[in-house]
Amino acid sequence: MDLSQYTELFRAETRDHLTTLNRLLLEWEQQPEQTEALPGIFRAVHTVKGMAATMGYARVADLAHRAETLLDFLRTGGRTVSEQELELLFRTADVLEALVEATVAGREAALDVTPVLAELDAAASRREPPEQPGRARRRISFVSVPVGTGRKVEVVLRADGALKGARALLVLRRMEALGTVHGVEPAPTALGGEEFDGRFAFRIETQAPAERIEADARAAGDVETVRVHTAGGEAAEGERDAGRARHIRVDLRRLDVLMNVIGELVAARGRLEHLIAERRDPELAESVAAISGLTRQLQSEILQARMTPVWQVFDRFPRVVRDLARQLDKQVEFRVEGKEIELDRAILDEIGDPLIHLLRNAVDHGIESPDQRVAAGKPAAGQITLAAMRDRDTVVIMVSDDGRGIDRARILAEAKRRGLVDEHAPDIPDDQLLRVLGRSGFSTAGRVSEVSGRGVGVDVILTRMRELGGSVEVRSVPGEGSSFTLRLPPTLAIVRALLARVGAERYALPLTHVAETVELEASRVTAFEGREALLLRDEVLPLVHLRDVLAIDGAPPARRPVVVLQLGDRRTGLVIDRMEGQQEIVVKAFVPPRGTLPIFSGATVLGDGEPVLILDAGGLV
Amino acid sequence: MSHTVLVCDDAIFMRTMISDILAQSGYEIVGEAETGVQAIERYKQLKPDLVTMDIVMPDLGGIEAVREIVKFDPAARILMCSAMGQQALVVEAIQAGARDFVVKPFQPSRVLEAVQRVLG
Repeated sequence: MDLSQYTELFRAETRDHLTTLNRLLLEWEQQPEQTEALPGIFRAVHTVKGMAATMGYARVADLAHRAETLLDFLRTGGRTVSEQELELLFRTADVLEALVEATVAGREAALDVTPVLAELDAAASRREPPEQPGRARRRISFVSVPVGTGRKVEVVLRADGALKGARALLVLRRMEALGTVHGVEPAPTALGGEEFDGRFAFRIETQAPAERIEADARAAGDVETVRVHTAGGEAAEGERDAGRARHIRVDLRRLDVLMNVIGELVAARGRLEHLIAERRDPELAESVAAISGLTRQLQSEILQARMTPVWQVFDRFPRVVRDLARQLDKQVEFRVEGKEIELDRAILDEIGDPLIHLLRNAVDHGIESPDQRVAAGKPAAGQITLAAMRDRDTVVIMVSDDGRGIDRARILAEAKRRGLVDEHAPDIPDDQLLRVLGRSGFSTAGRVSEVSGRGVGVDVILTRMRELGGSVEVRSVPGEGSSFTLRLPPTLAIVRALLARVGAERYALPLTHVAETVELEASRVTAFEGREALLLRDEVLPLVHLRDVLAIDGAPPARRPVVVLQLGDRRTGLVIDRMEGQQEIVVKAFVPPRGTLPIFSGATVLGDGEPVLILDAGGLV
Repeated sequence: MSHTVLVCDDAIFMRTMISDILAQSGYEIVGEAETGVQAIERYKQLKPDLVTMDIVMPDLGGIEAVREIVKFDPAARILMCSAMGQQALVVEAIQAGARDFVVKPFQPSRVLEAVQRVLG
């Protein structure tokens, strides 16, 4: 049987279990004397072991098996887990993850896991209870089923089923009607115990085909999965999950393709609507309207299918922050809020690295050492908060700390030295801070550390956010802390945009950052800090002429609109020649040619077939 | 023709509930029993397709009743009705010949699934 088709599924599911494992280990570490997390930890390792063995990944299965042995002793031993043991389990989780990735990629030989195996064995032997005669050890283990004759069958009962021991007995009863059953694990006497988790295995000698064995086992009720191995005991056949049909895993690339097709469809619909507006044919118009409605529905469904809660990426961060804090001898309380907020999977995948970078910065440069904090009258443990929330049509993700704040004086000096700001500038306001930090190679770190790298991160974050149609804001107060705010469209690919004309060209301006549009009245134009500005109600709005930015010749029209762009608290008026309505645009990946102004985030094709560039508010404000 | 059922439980409430669940799905309730002794008598008398059997009943318990009924009719189809935490008793009942079990509090769907398994 070809198992390669299951590789991706194996990898994805293993990753889920390893994430769970890390989360539960953290919980356990918080309260080592409590053992509530232990069954879940055991299950995660156990499941990975079973899956790896099925895939034929012997080394992964072996590593998981040895971890499981230690966990089993910890579970039955009754003594509190030690710090060293937890540390070893954390490391095991890391090695397991690396080994899974390497194995899937066919490079498992490159990874030497023998040190951790030896440590696990040593730790397990220290925990091993003395053998008690007459009392079989109740180890539930799929891999170590004694080699016997007949086919091996593994059964998992439904988690919500009651009296699993009695249910297992019913399964065995039905099996005994088919043939001779032996080698039941765990031992039948243990099936009635509290610890029996509904997983058991046995061997059966029968002429009945695998389908019959599976069907009869299922007929006993409450059966989640049945795996009937071939007589050799090698590959598993037919694992059919009942009651799980509500979710399927789909390769993201398929959704991408689907998304692209729908993007084309939306563009085609735009063209069709454009054409139909020129004809006066009610029947045709009606039919086009129907197609438009269906396309919209299809589009919203597929976008919905791509939405993923942020915890899928956030869940690995507590571990990152914990490890880093330990490494740097800092105390950090890390809070995560808004885990259920959803983002397009593609966006979520892209923000993981920037967020890790920001979190590292917060631990390394933001949070002070416990001594320094206490001296400054703060609690010894610093607070870092990662929060996701919805704000109108955008998703906001904020990383904040209560540390020392960004060292403006040093950054100002550095910026002056490099000629990035005026020599006599007294200070750097928050909005300029980001621009300075965002210069490639600009170092915020006084020292280069292994942890936060060389200060090359902020420009990478800015670029990444721009590509995603998002923006970044920074706030920092000396002695009180810093916060970085990422603002993102919840979905990629299709956004509503305003069409702006300047000269002969049209540009698309996503509504994500458009606050309002007003008319440019000459009587209200003034100067502010040497820049042209517009008096808008009680606000002085700095103006940017798109004509100037794009170096377009010729005279502008007399009456011109101003598009008010807003990024957080910063607002800028973008002066254009004319507005040409709104349209849904399909954002296409865009690799700007060298020398392109940093004000474009992508390209699109309009309803009438004309390609236009998409303006990036972040580059204009 | 619908399957016939004998409902054995010492609580009227439970008998009514089980009878309702089964009757609504087209099973024919042909009799009820309040004690183990009654259960055995009624079984011999009515020969139902299915017996639902409470474990704890006065005079003679459900498990004893299962033994007696199976002795009389090895093909008897008996579904045990148990409370949570009675695993050992359920195991004993299965070893005595009961075919399946449901756990209180009853969910109608679970009861019907079990009944179908026993009759299937």
